[in-house]
Amino acid sequence: MRGRAVLVAVVLAALVLPFQLGTSALTTATFVVIAAIGATGLNVLTGYAGQISLGHAFFLAVGAYTGAKLGADAGWSAALWIPAAGVVAGVCGALVGPVALRLTGLYLAIVTLALVFIGQHVFFNVESLTGGPQGRSFAPVVLGPFDFSAGQVLRVGSLEIDHNGLYYYLALALLAAATAFAWNVRRTRSGRAMVAVRERELAATVIGVDVRRVKIAAFTASAFLAGVSGALYASYLSFAQPGEWSLLLSIQFVAAVIVGGMGTVAGPLLGSAVVFALPTVLKNLPLVPDEAAGGVSVSDLSSIAYGLLIVAFLVLEPRGLVGLVHKPKEAHS
Amino acid sequence: MTEFLQLLFQGVSLGATYALVALGFAVVYRSSGVINFAQGAMLLLGAYATSWLAVDVGLAFGLAVLVAMVALALAGAGLHAVVLRRVTGQPTFVLVMITIGAGIAVTSGVEAAFGPDRRLLGDPWGSSSFEVGGVTINSVKAWGIAVTTVALAAYFAFDRYTRWGLAMQATAADEEATLSVGVPVRLVHAGTWAMAGGLATLGGLFLAGFPGAPQPTLGDAALRAFPAIVLGGLGSPVGAVVGGVLIGVTEVLTSGYAPDSLGTNFSAVAPYVAMIAILLVRPYGLFGVRPAERI
Amino acid sequence: MSLLDVRDLALRFGAVTAFEGVSFDVRRGELFAVIGPNGAGKSSLFNALSRVYEPASGSVQLDGRDYLRLRPHQLAATGVARSFQNLGIFPHLTALENVLVGRHHLMRCGVLRDGLGLGRREERQHREAALDALAFVGLERCAGTEVQLLPYGLRKRVEVARCLAMEPRLMLLDEPVAGMNAAERAEIAELVGRLRTERDLTVLLVEHDMGMVMQVADRILVLDFGVPIALGTPAEIQADERVIRAYLGEAPEATRTEVRA
Repeated sequence: MRGRAVLVAVVLAALVLPFQLGTSALTTATFVVIAAIGATGLNVLTGYAGQISLGHAFFLAVGAYTGAKLGADAGWSAALWIPAAGVVAGVCGALVGPVALRLTGLYLAIVTLALVFIGQHVFFNVESLTGGPQGRSFAPVVLGPFDFSAGQVLRVGSLEIDHNGLYYYLALALLAAATAFAWNVRRTRSGRAMVAVRERELAATVIGVDVRRVKIAAFTASAFLAGVSGALYASYLSFAQPGEWSLLLSIQFVAAVIVGGMGTVAGPLLGSAVVFALPTVLKNLPLVPDEAAGGVSVSDLSSIAYGLLIVAFLVLEPRGLVGLVHKPKEAHS
Repeated sequence: MTEFLQLLFQGVSLGATYALVALGFAVVYRSSGVINFAQGAMLLLGAYATSWLAVDVGLAFGLAVLVAMVALALAGAGLHAVVLRRVTGQPTFVLVMITIGAGIAVTSGVEAAFGPDRRLLGDPWGSSSFEVGGVTINSVKAWGIAVTTVALAAYFAFDRYTRWGLAMQATAADEEATLSVGVPVRLVHAGTWAMAGGLATLGGLFLAGFPGAPQPTLGDAALRAFPAIVLGGLGSPVGAVVGGVLIGVTEVLTSGYAPDSLGTNFSAVAPYVAMIAILLVRPYGLFGVRPAERI
Repeated sequence: MSLLDVRDLALRFGAVTAFEGVSFDVRRGELFAVIGPNGAGKSSLFNALSRVYEPASGSVQLDGRDYLRLRPHQLAATGVARSFQNLGIFPHLTALENVLVGRHHLMRCGVLRDGLGLGRREERQHREAALDALAFVGLERCAGTEVQLLPYGLRKRVEVARCLAMEPRLMLLDEPVAGMNAAERAEIAELVGRLRTERDLTVLLVEHDMGMVMQVADRILVLDFGVPIALGTPAEIQADERVIRAYLGEAPEATRTEVRA
């Protein structure tokens, strides 16, 4: 009962947020929600199935460039290129899955690391797709009569929603769908199998779980959501260079999942809020001298913070922010 | 032909550096099962520490290196004592992520403290070089190979012939049993990490030598030691050395001979491609062993 | 009618022989136990039978078909369920979820259908079966509890429930009462007995605890130093000289001599 009330409150708060925030804060919030879609995917892969992946940035990139090819270059509607971005990224994820089968923990971590570097190498060199080192522009979302380009304003009654708000609501809707999907998975056969593989892979095998299928499924689902997130992200940014899809981006997503609480429902959003809003928060802190004044760059500070957050949470509260709030399921008698 | 020999020499010297990094890594893994993703960061820190001590503080270079090694050794042992000891027994994933987090914090911290520009290493060799049969040999690189060889030989001797080496092997094999026969396991762990720190300093120092320099991108270069580690097989010191040299040679030869169709700067990803290719055939690396599972 | 037919099975680790010359059959609906002192080779035999180890020689037939060609991941589909000594349960899943993993090989939904919520009916049906298995072991109340919060004895029972939920033909139990006190042992013994009587399962169990085995087993194989030394009913085994000697050493003979003198 209490859980339901909290959920309703959160949803209501999320819906009215754009009208409470200034443009800059709304932009940050939108990025957070977009990122949370990707974090939900990584949560399935890492939180449920326990697979280490440093390659999330790669799948985000695949989604982004798919969206660019179909949206900006071929003129498709966003109703098509957003799902398509997910599908193409998902297929890539399915291809990585079999590699994960033969490799245990750290080997997998390093191979997914390789994926990011090799991916970036390809992106820097295939100019026709990515614009090369200069980067390329990405199409704004256009859904039927709704144009999300900068400067567009939607009027609903007496309310005005600018393009930031439009992206925000779209991302929110997609996040809700992604969260529902992940929650369904956890409560059913495939989710249980993922957790079983994470906890006792050999026992799971003997009980009849097809570990191969489980890992491929986890990688595919994770990559799909990363693709959707990446496509939306690039569209909102409107311009991106291949350098965007870096190891640091992967690590931000991993940090988000860990800080939020691995394997939980609220974790991805909570963690994304902390990790992806952090640079903005740091920039506005009066105590820190900014780069121009000879101080520390925000990006360095953020990175230090990510590293420390990851270490702190894993050592002190491995269940993340959600764990700080909840206790594990007590024995009901 | 001389061009090939030239590249080969550079590859071997780069490989020697990777071998040092990979060895530091293998040592820690063998004794505690922890994958130290912070090894690259320690390398960066080692190079910067040496540079700072030699250039800013004004120590003689040899002394600077020694002090840096000690400092890194302490940092490594410190990381173990403060962070890693508290999470023993947790799944691999957690240990890996912690070292990744630590690595990121350190790498960014170094960049924050020293800025994004290249620094002077403060080494006595600089850009000096000599010729052997038409091949230009940088003094730094020559010293790098020499020092690496000595360090590796010292490690192997230590591992095989001393009590502490035996203690490390025993701890790796069965920590509880080792503890029960009176070996101070905590000290062994601390020692292992200290070694990793020291080896990282040496590795970082030569990686930062001419024509390189202590700069933040050194961290990325250090990441290329991971394919070496994986290729050789986690926990195999011999594998670390072989892997390191292989990766170094691959990287340099590709920079010299890779066709344009593979893109500019392919040599930077060649190690990763080589690693994946080998893992597809041998999932535990060239010398790695499939870990035993308890039923 | 034998379900499991083992002929002349041997397992070696390099120069060390874990066991050899092992032959026995397990009849349908029977509860067959393998016992022996420490180091007798029972665990190795068990692991060979659960396809984790590869025997050096010999044959095993399950219902007339070659059993040794099976890999561990094929056991469930073949109708073989095994428990684990070091607990193969999943700590962060609830008791019900653990048992539901046992139903995994009987269910069909993949991640897509699951995520879209299309597998509701299948999920409901199997939940009922899982609750039924939990009820059999007396743990319906704990269905929603994470098993890491349950005491050892209850976790063992969850594992038995999971084996049951797999709807196997043959259940392999690996030292089910290891590490338990007398009360817990009695409970598990009763549970194992009921598996046979109420569910008509064929059970092969490896065990150290003589008392429990004598109580529930139909027939017993005794191993000593990797060699079978006796095969028979509990009564026959208890009276068997070689068995007594294996467990107690030469003492009984010596004592008798002393008394006479």
